[in-house]
Amino acid sequence: MQRTVLIIEDEKLIIVSTQMVLEAAGFRVESATNGEDGIGKAKAQAPDLILLDIMMPGIDGWETLTRLKRDPATAGIPVVIFTAREHSRGHQKSTEMGAADYFRKPFEPDELIELVEKHVAQKT
Amino acid sequence: MTTISSIMDGVVFVGRAGNVVLLNSAAEDLLGVRALVAAGKPLDAIEGGGDLLQTLIADQRRTAKGKEFARTVEVHHSQHDLLYVKCTTRFAQDHRGEPCGVITLLRDVTADFKTDQLKNQYLSIVAHELRTPLTGIKTFSTMLAKGSLGKLDDRQRRACESIREQSVRLEHQIDKLINLGNLESADYGQDREVVTVAEFSTGLLLPFEQPARDRRITLTFRADTTEACLFADRADLRRACQALVENAVKFARDGGTVEVRIERTADGGLRFGVADDGIGIDPRYQRRIFEKFFQVEDPLTRHHGGAGLGLFVARGIVEAHGSRIEVSSQLGRGADFSFMLPLHRPTAEAAAAGAAGSPQERVSCKEPS
Repeated sequence: MQRTVLIIEDEKLIIVSTQMVLEAAGFRVESATNGEDGIGKAKAQAPDLILLDIMMPGIDGWETLTRLKRDPATAGIPVVIFTAREHSRGHQKSTEMGAADYFRKPFEPDELIELVEKHVAQKT
Repeated sequence: MTTISSIMDGVVFVGRAGNVVLLNSAAEDLLGVRALVAAGKPLDAIEGGGDLLQTLIADQRRTAKGKEFARTVEVHHSQHDLLYVKCTTRFAQDHRGEPCGVITLLRDVTADFKTDQLKNQYLSIVAHELRTPLTGIKTFSTMLAKGSLGKLDDRQRRACESIREQSVRLEHQIDKLINLGNLESADYGQDREVVTVAEFSTGLLLPFEQPARDRRITLTFRADTTEACLFADRADLRRACQALVENAVKFARDGGTVEVRIERTADGGLRFGVADDGIGIDPRYQRRIFEKFFQVEDPLTRHHGGAGLGLFVARGIVEAHGSRIEVSSQLGRGADFSFMLPLHRPTAEAAAAGAAGSPQERVSCKEPS
């Protein structure tokens, strides 16, 4: 079965480029441009992995992560934090909050694929 | 006494017996305590003081002999909105050098603190704004160059590779810009994780390949391990290594060489080294080059660009990881910079190595929380 990645990200450009990389590697990619919408799609589609941006209008990535981890329906989906901004101790903070990994933009396409493969494999 | 009472910083001096000997008017204002009321009493017997007084009590208790303790605290002041006060506490000595009490200086750094906060916030936003389009450029050019979006002829592929290379260079410059905001902070090396040599060294040299090529410098990379693990702040460590590489490329001879190597050491560590064959460093400057903004050349006539921050930042990062940068160089004979970090082992293995009586193999870094 084709594996699905959900990207929660407000920048269209990042969605399009990430989608291109992951689709070329055989993933199906869904996207949401804000936290609320992302949580809804995570519940409805149960993706294999979520790529989550931090800086978003409305509820930010940290709050989105908290809600995803609180809901039993989505708590088991690995979430990879995906950020272009410096966050003080961002890696530690995301681990403490239950994220599977922390990834900086701009990224190396191969590294992104490797990372997604790794967490999807660990989940199943 | 008049001098002390009229200076702008707050001064609180507690004598050997533990009672307040002196509290100037600036300290009265910041603490919300009258000198007349406080004099002759221990700090914790003074009534009516707020949070800052509690900070003062705690700092004076924890200050060890011979060491200075400083921190900046947020103070909710009755007449001002919110103040940031830097408290510096240390033992005072009499004319024989004997301890005669504890002295605390209180400096209102609200204006500096706010400017700093604003600057960091601004840099962070700028970085975000620059990195977002760069992500698109880097991703699309990488995919094009690799042929993932269809086959290209040789010239087209070279053009895409060049776009990709320039995007990596730009990314490196943005990282350096962000660093400007963190110069004073003791925040280096805080975000530690278990990271393999491959993870932190992939693409390490990419931002310097074109500058090296332009000056016909042979830039080589050799790692005798890719799997070995460190427990380190990956982004900071990369920054430190790249600062050393950038420095080497800058000072290498035209047509010369820069050699980057990562190797295991006999005592269970990992050594990162960068050697160039350039102008070398005068022994007089071999410590000073790590100072902030230090440049050997006159800034107006010099040939080499840069702000004089690379080595300063690298030193801060390496020291935050519990190590130091070694330099060996002779004027006109190139320079070799290196530092060593202990290898990380999973806990069980580390314990086994310890039990096997091999102290050199023990891991000296903390486990991630």
